[in-house]
Amino acid sequence: MEKIRIELTVNGKQHDLLVAPNRTLAQTLREDLRLTGTKQGCEVGDCGSCTVLLDDVPVNSCLVLAVQAAGRRVTTIEGLAQGNELHPIQEAMIQHGAIQCGFCTPGMILSAKALLDRNPDPDAGEIKDALSGNLCRCTGYQKIVEAVQDAAAKMGRD
Amino acid sequence: MTQKFNVIGSRAPRLDAPDKATGRACYVDDIEFPHLLEGAILQSPHAHARILSIDTSAAEALPGVAAVITHRDVPDVRYGVSPARYDETIFAIDKVRYVGDEVAAVAAEDLDTAMAALELIKVEYEVLPHVLTVDEALAEGAPVIHDAFPGNICAEVHQEFGDVAAGFAESDIIRTDVFVNKRQDGAFIEPHRCVAVYDNFGQLTLTSSTQVPHYVQRTVAMVTGIDVGKVRVKKPYVGGGFGPKAEATPCDIISAFLAIKTGRPVRVAYSREQVFLHCRARHQFKHVMKTGFKKDGTIMALDHQCWLEGGAYSSFGIATVYYAGSLLAAPYKLPNMKYDGWRVYTNKPACGAQRGHGGVAARACFEQQLDLIAKQLDMDPIELRLKNIMTAGDVSCNDLAMSSLGMKECIEAVRDGSTWRDKRGRLPKGKGIGMASGFFVSGAGYPIYRSETYHCTVTIKVQEDGGTVKVLTGAAEIGQGSDTAMAMIAAEAIGIPLDRVRLVSGDTDYGVDLGAYSSRTTLMTGHATKEAGEAVKDRVLTALAEELGIERDRLDMANGLVEISGDPVDFSELRTKYIKEHRGWSDHPAGDQITFTEAARIAYLKYGTVVGTGKYKPPVLGGKFKGAAVGTSPAYGCSAQVAEVTVDLETGQVTVDSITDAHDCGKAVNLTSVEAQMEGSVSMGLGEAMFEEVKFDDQGRVLNASLGEYHIPTVLDMPQMSCIVVESGEPNGPFGAKEVGEGAIMPTIPAILNAVHDATGVTITELPITPERVLKALKEKEQEKD
Amino acid sequence: MLLPRFEYHQPASLDEAVEVLGQYAGEAAVLAGGTDLLVNMKHQAMAPSHLVSLAGVEGLDQASADGGRVTVGPLMSAAVLAQSEFIAANAGALALGAAVLGSPQVRTRATVGGNVCNARPAADMSVPLLALGARAVLTGPDGQRQVDLEEFFVGPGQTVRAPGELLSALEMDAPAPGTGWGYQKLGLRKALEISLVNVAAALSLEDDGKTIKAARVALGAVAPTPILAPGAAEVLVGQAAGGDVFKAAGQKAAADAKPIDDHRGSAWYRREMVAVLTARALNQAWARAQGQ
Repeated sequence: MEKIRIELTVNGKQHDLLVAPNRTLAQTLREDLRLTGTKQGCEVGDCGSCTVLLDDVPVNSCLVLAVQAAGRRVTTIEGLAQGNELHPIQEAMIQHGAIQCGFCTPGMILSAKALLDRNPDPDAGEIKDALSGNLCRCTGYQKIVEAVQDAAAKMGRD
Repeated sequence: MTQKFNVIGSRAPRLDAPDKATGRACYVDDIEFPHLLEGAILQSPHAHARILSIDTSAAEALPGVAAVITHRDVPDVRYGVSPARYDETIFAIDKVRYVGDEVAAVAAEDLDTAMAALELIKVEYEVLPHVLTVDEALAEGAPVIHDAFPGNICAEVHQEFGDVAAGFAESDIIRTDVFVNKRQDGAFIEPHRCVAVYDNFGQLTLTSSTQVPHYVQRTVAMVTGIDVGKVRVKKPYVGGGFGPKAEATPCDIISAFLAIKTGRPVRVAYSREQVFLHCRARHQFKHVMKTGFKKDGTIMALDHQCWLEGGAYSSFGIATVYYAGSLLAAPYKLPNMKYDGWRVYTNKPACGAQRGHGGVAARACFEQQLDLIAKQLDMDPIELRLKNIMTAGDVSCNDLAMSSLGMKECIEAVRDGSTWRDKRGRLPKGKGIGMASGFFVSGAGYPIYRSETYHCTVTIKVQEDGGTVKVLTGAAEIGQGSDTAMAMIAAEAIGIPLDRVRLVSGDTDYGVDLGAYSSRTTLMTGHATKEAGEAVKDRVLTALAEELGIERDRLDMANGLVEISGDPVDFSELRTKYIKEHRGWSDHPAGDQITFTEAARIAYLKYGTVVGTGKYKPPVLGGKFKGAAVGTSPAYGCSAQVAEVTVDLETGQVTVDSITDAHDCGKAVNLTSVEAQMEGSVSMGLGEAMFEEVKFDDQGRVLNASLGEYHIPTVLDMPQMSCIVVESGEPNGPFGAKEVGEGAIMPTIPAILNAVHDATGVTITELPITPERVLKALKEKEQEKD
Repeated sequence: MLLPRFEYHQPASLDEAVEVLGQYAGEAAVLAGGTDLLVNMKHQAMAPSHLVSLAGVEGLDQASADGGRVTVGPLMSAAVLAQSEFIAANAGALALGAAVLGSPQVRTRATVGGNVCNARPAADMSVPLLALGARAVLTGPDGQRQVDLEEFFVGPGQTVRAPGELLSALEMDAPAPGTGWGYQKLGLRKALEISLVNVAAALSLEDDGKTIKAARVALGAVAPTPILAPGAAEVLVGQAAGGDVFKAAGQKAAADAKPIDDHRGSAWYRREMVAVLTARALNQAWARAQGQ
């Protein structure tokens, strides 16, 4: 199995990596780049906890080969805050009590970010649609939806 | 309760939320262990088979393999949850009892190699006939799963309280109803995993995704034979538990043995499929309830039978079979109750505890029956319930004492907080509204093993440089918010702002804590934390009183500032001394009150390190009968919900439109966290009501061992939820607090069932409420009419 | 869960892709979105020793219309199809199906070509394509051939595509004026769901805006492959559109269905649902046909 050299831009930083073809993007992020904010709950695309943005669209990084991401931009949860300044979605999730065990949280936030980046003023239905690939067993989702609504409102004001 | 709080009752953001929102929170898999080996477990492909031989030679010879172990390499020791039923071995010895039973394990340089090695282990099986259902297991001549239990009955309960025959004799209406739920899965998003490190000091340290570091520590010490004082279990952040992580798992035990054997850190991590194979989640219950009522709606007697399909081992099952009966004795006055329960072994993964342990299906059955009786009596279901509810001071027929009980307040809150009065009985066909109540313990009255142990100990250390305190607790933050709640309780007890409290938790080195189960942490660890906080406060204020030369009882602390009663006291010398000690610092205390920081510094200078400790165990609770312990608790939470549904009469599909939810948590330590538990409970209850069922083929293999095919609710499946927090002020709880984590799930299923009945006239007696089940019931009802 | 080992190929043209595929025929799998293939590989259900990614082949992710023919590129993702105005106008059933496939994260990766080639009986894009009368264009070492989609599916996971062939395009006739589409999916939950039953309908009206000129109804999860319900179409053509005739078509579709009992649902229920969902899909199609 021949390893393949890829370039990957993760959270704005370019990486040159030598990866085995059977390595998933999730493995590469977590194990090679030590970006462990990307969680794995099922590894087969059912739960959404490994959601990252690939060229700004949400994907399950457990079902993307690292080689398929070659030359592309990846955003992980570690890429959202600017230093100690949290992204408004992160801030809203904290303030609304939308985080319990936290295992789904990074993926949930990235799905929300993808939505707000393309639709700054979504209604509740659009928010729910955008989060429908991220399973959460703790919260019942209501506080998450409220947090995203609040973040959208705050981002709209800024 | 009119007590004024400064921290308790607020909506303080959770302490762990920033780490979790930024990806900095570390779960087991996120922590680096140098020189780590990856472990993997060989599991049985058969539901029931004799092991004839195991050949590990080829696996051992594979390059990169560090160890291969089977039952031959570990002590022949039985373990489990209840000491009365230790029926598990570390690896299968003579036979395997379910698809997934552990047969061997490997540690290798990487997971690839470990998985390859598993394939090289040759196991010869003689397949035995298996039993997959209660009926099969109880049939005459059925294959026996455990030799010690020839009829496959793992545990049985026979209880009678009051005089049931007399109760029925006085009844005007007697109804018998049957109800069946389905085996549920915990479906927490982080699968079980553990990394074991056996170091050169002979200490074994486990970093485990567990709800119960304490029990894992004891079990692992017992099976390995290592001094319990040299076994440490650490729980980093945990991605949910809900019950199935409330016992030592093969991940914990096998990683320990592999680490001991190899002298290297070993990780054993379940895949999602293995989570389903391990199970330890909600049992399948079949309930038969015969209940007698007076014409005026008074409940007279309940004769209740229940069968639990338990799987191949006991897990929590003995407690489960007791809970399934005992938790019906409240919140309604039920003078006469007979209960017969049987937990039955089958060749399936073992079931255990899950949110609402033992009581959820029973509650659904009973609350549905109450609605049917109300209909028969032409009474409003809410009126029927209000007529029968207990209030504070009542004791149930099985000796459960209601020290506080806001049941009436909860029922009235959901009635008035929803559109019940406008809608009940007035909605068009296909639309329905239903309600139900619930009830749960606020911490199990006794530990799982017989012991006079404290249920928790907490230490609070005042940092020597002043200013902050550090809480050390073994309590298990698994997402429910206990870290934040404990920090808030500590802050309130000491009289300092929340940001002055640092907290570490979930480590057996920090003290005893039985863990996150039975909704015990807020009340129990809360008590211990409060006691430790008060000790700290007293020590600091005593030092200050000495320094100022005044009586201790003139001093109090709130918001980090010392309050002095009586005449003003000149403390300028004290402040000058502090400022001199901190020359060059920018945060000198100011104002006309002594700060906690100054007082704490004085205490340190007088006594050395200031430490406060707290402990808690409940008083002796419950009756003297067999099984009296199960269901006892120092307090009980209660709840009520109103559900509104839409039923598609052509497809049978039910949509839950809204849930109005009231819960009596005694006193909300953190209001946002209380709502969060209520909303989360609704979602798990809704999942069980509508979708969830672990399915098996006829060979005992799980058919839907994935989160794609095992359906927990998505955001699109959740209704609008309105949460109403009721605070009855629990005398046995710290600052009046009691549970919310599990009681809140109780009304969800029956409220939905009762709403479906209101919408359609059909009674669904088997979960989940699938479109097919509803449509079938609708068609049958039509045929009855014809 | 680890992926088995394989060699990775990313050819830069269709010809090259066919060549690589031919070279490893039988040992190679085509990688498009990967949302099915990689799952199957992780479950060890398949272990191809070569993966041929189509990501480097240009032009496979475009849709176009030309001379009465609509072409859909096999690498178009469900997310793109669901949002495309072109698809909504020219192959609306496909947009409807694509919009409810899996989850947002799956939709950004899953491709229509993959959905068709995986040949799952409940596939959310295959069933609409059947209703659209789509044809699979297969490119192999001996050139191109076209196969009607109803001939393309052979069984669960099985198609007539030879190991050395690629699905290079999906084609269909451009919709006649007065055409509308419907798609109905019934599952337990509202996302991340494999259909219990799914039905797609295409309906074209005569110039009078009432009489049904042409109709196709396709059914999912009620046979080993997505199937057409010819009985339903027969009842519809020549009739005035409306609830009664749609109900009758639903009954015919139920008769055309060949469901089985499995752990997701019984044959009885599936058949009942074919009738209900067919009528609903036709109603939906009718509303859209009138809207044009």
